[in-house]
Amino acid sequence: MSPSIFDYETTLKHCAAGNRRALMQLYEQEAPRLLTVVLRILQNRPLAEDVVHDAFIKIWQNAQHYHSDLGSARGWIYTLTRNLALNALKYSNRQILFEPEFLLDLCDNQLQENEHHADEVEALAQDPMAQTSLTNCLNHLEPERKLCVLHAYVDGYTQDEIATLLDKPLGTVKSWIKRSLNALKECLQ
Amino acid sequence: MSQHTNLSDTNLDTPDTDSNLAGQYVLGTLDKTERLAFEARLTESPALQKMVNQWQNHFVSITDKLPPLSAPQPLSARIERSLDELDQPAKSKPTKEKTSFWQSLPIWRGLTGAGMALAVFFAVQLQTIEPTLSEPTYIAVLVAPEDKTPGWVIQTSQSNQMQLVPLAAIEIPEGKALQFWTKADGWDAPVSLGLVKKGETLRVALDKLPPLTENQLFELTLEQETGSPTGRPTGPITSIGRGVIML
Repeated sequence: MSPSIFDYETTLKHCAAGNRRALMQLYEQEAPRLLTVVLRILQNRPLAEDVVHDAFIKIWQNAQHYHSDLGSARGWIYTLTRNLALNALKYSNRQILFEPEFLLDLCDNQLQENEHHADEVEALAQDPMAQTSLTNCLNHLEPERKLCVLHAYVDGYTQDEIATLLDKPLGTVKSWIKRSLNALKECLQ
Repeated sequence: MSQHTNLSDTNLDTPDTDSNLAGQYVLGTLDKTERLAFEARLTESPALQKMVNQWQNHFVSITDKLPPLSAPQPLSARIERSLDELDQPAKSKPTKEKTSFWQSLPIWRGLTGAGMALAVFFAVQLQTIEPTLSEPTYIAVLVAPEDKTPGWVIQTSQSNQMQLVPLAAIEIPEGKALQFWTKADGWDAPVSLGLVKKGETLRVALDKLPPLTENQLFELTLEQETGSPTGRPTGPITSIGRGVIML
């Protein structure tokens, strides 16, 4: 089911109430994407599965702390999971890969539009902003700055690693990221 | 001048607004000090948490475009088993033998991988105590004898030090102290490792002790403020557990 149709907030409420079926529905809905995100960061399948396991246990245990005032329930789930993945990096000897085309393709809406499935079209109809707005805004950034943001978010690289990868001073990378965030925030409003 | 270019490109002109910090937190680009400071504020501020969740929800639209993997069926079964085990300690009878309790603790299972289960077990505390818990080689969880509530964790690191870390706020009655003891198989009597002060992590130098062994007993007893007068535990046991060597 498309993320913009699935009701994450209600699912978390049911988890908080001790409804295990709700957690398993969330697993069906989100585990493939969570595993994808975590594996991209850790580059180690068994470790990635450990993290996704731990994430679901932690979602179960902490669901009671989520309430709608905290904003996006899906964001809450990913923040929790990505934090576990970033903490687990110390167990992973991953390689730092330079794949600019791959990352930039993720922001290419043209490419995505050719691959629309029925439910994604439906999702776009319901929420025209959600699917495309961030990528649109990212595409207003200079390619190198966009890459900094993507390496950080998609690959989980540190600023040091990005600086080495792009052969730029650390201060420059830091500054680019901060300015990019400000530009994105303005664009998203 | 390149020097000048670099200077003008530094952070001076980009103030750290909360929204910007929240974005950096989501990207994972804060350095350790900045991250800990931000997390400390985060736990207190629903408004900051909302900013974080909003940024996350925006950024996740990028990774949604990664080709999704199929999540293996055994993983969901494993999650269900862990949930079963989480339910277990509360239901287990107090008369159960210690060994079966230790075997049923969810913590031990996950430790087989990469110590990840610690992150689950300490779900809430993770972000504050995680730095001191990196790569333990010996670990024990001390629980209350009556209801098996975990109260302390013992861990060692490369630093030749053993740490006794409280998992929750502890109450020590006026004029009393908690004394920390250990006894390995084959020892005649427990050895005192020191007195616990409120809210503090007790550190014990390992070179004063024989090597820690599997199944070594650790306990905390309630004693006089200056410690047990006999050099042996005299007061009631408040927490008890056995050590596990991690490979």
